[in-house]
Amino acid sequence: MKQALNQTRYATLHTLILVSICIALMVVDHRFKQLEAVRANISLVLSPLRYLVSLPALTGNWASEWFSTHTEVIDDNVFLRSEVRLLNARLQKMKVLEEENIRLRNLLGSSQNLADQVLVAELLSVDQNPYRQLIEINRGTVDGVDLGHAVIDDFGVMGQVIHANRQSATAILISDPDHATPVQFIRSGIRSVAFGNGSTDQLEIRFLPATADIRIGDELVTSGLGGRFPADYPVATVSSIREDLTHGFVSVFAIPKARLDSSREVLVIKPREQE
Amino acid sequence: MINLRYLVIYLSLVVGLILMILPLPDWVQAYRPNWVALTLIYWSMALPRKVGLWYAFFTGLLVDTLLGTLLGEHALALVIIMYVNMNLYLRIRVLSLSQQSVYIFSLLFIYQLIISWIEGVMGRSTPLSLYLGAPLISTLIWPWVFVILRDIRRKSMLS
Repeated sequence: MKQALNQTRYATLHTLILVSICIALMVVDHRFKQLEAVRANISLVLSPLRYLVSLPALTGNWASEWFSTHTEVIDDNVFLRSEVRLLNARLQKMKVLEEENIRLRNLLGSSQNLADQVLVAELLSVDQNPYRQLIEINRGTVDGVDLGHAVIDDFGVMGQVIHANRQSATAILISDPDHATPVQFIRSGIRSVAFGNGSTDQLEIRFLPATADIRIGDELVTSGLGGRFPADYPVATVSSIREDLTHGFVSVFAIPKARLDSSREVLVIKPREQE
Repeated sequence: MINLRYLVIYLSLVVGLILMILPLPDWVQAYRPNWVALTLIYWSMALPRKVGLWYAFFTGLLVDTLLGTLLGEHALALVIIMYVNMNLYLRIRVLSLSQQSVYIFSLLFIYQLIISWIEGVMGRSTPLSLYLGAPLISTLIWPWVFVILRDIRRKSMLS
């Protein structure tokens, strides 16, 4: 009995110590960056689990490739060849435009570099955290991925890297309630900030003046302000506009271009070297 | 040094962690049972000398890394329910499984309250389904977890 009592007393002491450690950890993790290394190391140890969990999906892909018939492969090949030709043709024109752009910029004396460095990555898993919208990708600091790099898929901007481990990285999606993307309306040129609101099919742009020239169907691109996202990548399309007559503001809702919930291959964009 | 005798405990926790990150559709997300907490509660009832606060703490850190939450968030919640459990397990162990379920519900509700509180401090609100969903489903699943883990424990002759 005495032993049991002693045990409880020690338990209380231990609990108090552990609780204070936890609180200290949370504060440090929230405010400072020192715990990134700890997180990266734990993540490295746990990476087999993530692979294990993504295995069914990977096996599915592999199986469907393996069992696709000869004719399907030929059809695919024909389609891809024509696609490549088309894209190459377009690229030639891009080359010319890019050259011209650089020349013009030189004339103007502006030193902005156009080409972005891009890295292909694959989705490892989607974080199963109901409060946040995070994804894991299979590239890490070894491949040159670092904090703040933008992540896009072939339709538009997806998010940015918030933890970089050695072999993998965590990216926050633009639809996370904590994320804000600097955007610009292509048609009217208005700059603003698009907030996520927790659902993968909606972004919100708040507090635009009621007189702003915005229509349903307007395209949003990154404005490049803030330095995280390179300029002019597609972000979203305006789907609805809500007027707040009492305050004279409008809120705009937009559907993200990127397939936030279904893309498996993503691109990581390294920011340009500042000259 | 890892003691091979207790390998079963580590393995069951690893399985729990895997089930925590298994992809689920968005709408079932809130109803995912808290496997790790259930496993830890079982082991601390069965082997109170072995599995205790430190297990809860380190497993919590693993959960935090896997879910991308603040380091220490789930650790704190696990440590606290583990503490409650250490004070009550002698009384709970003798109850029937259905009576235990009520106790499990309250533990997991406390767990969810702590998580909601921490997320709330950071400005994220918790939907109602999350408050009740996971604790309810976990409660329903508890008898099975209990029976399965008990069988495993008896087979591996841990006591």
